[in-house]
Amino acid sequence: MIAHSESSRPEAVFVLLLLQSMLWTVAGLSAIPFALAGEVFMLGLGLASLLVALATCLLAIGVLWRRRRARRWVIAVEITSLVGSLILLLLPIGANHGPVALMTNLALPIAVILLLRKQREAFS
Amino acid sequence: MFNIAPDHAIGLYFGLLALPLALIAIRLRPARHLVPGTVLAASVLMAMSGAIHLGLIGTHREETITALLFLFNGVAYILLSVAFTWRWWRPASAGLLVATLLGYLGYIALGFDSPDQVAVATKLLELTALGLVLVPVRGESRRRTRRWASLGVALPALTLITASTVWIVDLARPADAQHAHAGALLQATNEVATPEQNSAAARLYAETKAAILKYQDPKVAYAAGYRPGGPSNMPSSHWMNQRYVDAGYVMDPHRPQGLVYANTKHGPVLLGAMFQMKRIGQFGPDPGGPLTAWHQHENICVTPVGLEFSLMTPFATCPLGAIDVSVPPMLHVWIVDNPGGPFAVDIDEGVVKSIDRA
Repeated sequence: MIAHSESSRPEAVFVLLLLQSMLWTVAGLSAIPFALAGEVFMLGLGLASLLVALATCLLAIGVLWRRRRARRWVIAVEITSLVGSLILLLLPIGANHGPVALMTNLALPIAVILLLRKQREAFS
Repeated sequence: MFNIAPDHAIGLYFGLLALPLALIAIRLRPARHLVPGTVLAASVLMAMSGAIHLGLIGTHREETITALLFLFNGVAYILLSVAFTWRWWRPASAGLLVATLLGYLGYIALGFDSPDQVAVATKLLELTALGLVLVPVRGESRRRTRRWASLGVALPALTLITASTVWIVDLARPADAQHAHAGALLQATNEVATPEQNSAAARLYAETKAAILKYQDPKVAYAAGYRPGGPSNMPSSHWMNQRYVDAGYVMDPHRPQGLVYANTKHGPVLLGAMFQMKRIGQFGPDPGGPLTAWHQHENICVTPVGLEFSLMTPFATCPLGAIDVSVPPMLHVWIVDNPGGPFAVDIDEGVVKSIDRA
């Protein structure tokens, strides 16, 4: 084993963002059967989700390389995502409140924000 | 897959209880300074997953093989979460995580279990733990290329395989009869209709049909306040009367909340009526028992533009811009011959096509 003086938080964030990117990919792919059935707007949203998945993956690489701009973007994106999820959870529209929804829509963005919060000096 | 199976709920409590205990256990160990934070995080997640597996033994005592697998998995996860300084920790952990993930998917694919929220949450924990086990950190020089390659292949592939298997299994074999229709929860009823329920259903059908026949002319429906929703290029559309929705009339044949029209090349053709309750989870009266069971659409992703929909993924996500909603219970009354019956959840596609061709 190697003693670790440098923080591994960017690597942890990379893993979480990679997972989040895969969740966006699954969401994007899930729209395609409905788009094929004639729901044209779903095709647009599916493609947009796949682009977000790609962007999340690129941001994950930026965080891994300890780029300050990537860190800022990730924090902004995760805060936006967190606020959106909270609104959906609080509105009486019957949004899913199960443990999986709480993990993917709340716990994951919160974990990313907390991991990046005090890491400004580690990024260049 | 969006429910918590009663015999799985205990696993969730065990997992949540394990989180603070694992964090305290790690803080008490001086060896934590010898490994990267990613290893410690993976240890905590494996401890949680181990606790969930151990927690499920009690409710699966009747199923010996399942209980033994839970015991093996739980103990192995807990041991590995403690032994993070062990030389072979990474390959052992990665091997156990991958074997558990694939083993579970095989288990549900073979029909030994049905996916639920506890299972999917555990798989998410395991996928995250796998990523943290494999990711190399700065300062580590051993097998970096191999670990990056493993991470780049294993995490995306296993996430996609998990999502698709859980989804296919859930759609093909719903956990309970009430979820027999994708995205819809059926009202609980008796299994076989009694003679009284048969007559009540026939009465409801006759009254509703007689009351809505005037709406065969869409102009009359429009004048009465019904407005088409959703894209017009779909085989059928629901026309909703917001006044009746807001008023909350309960199964009133003369004031149904919605009408369903086939979108044919000759214009809209009336297929039936739709009664809708005001609140989510509030099922309406059920005079025909199993014949007139209401249904509630749950976990559907709706686009704010165009009012189109898709189904929420097993990981509880929707396409970008779509909103996860559930719709209050509804009951359709089809006035055209529908193979599923006059109160079926859906109209048969073949019926709509034949009307379009006629």
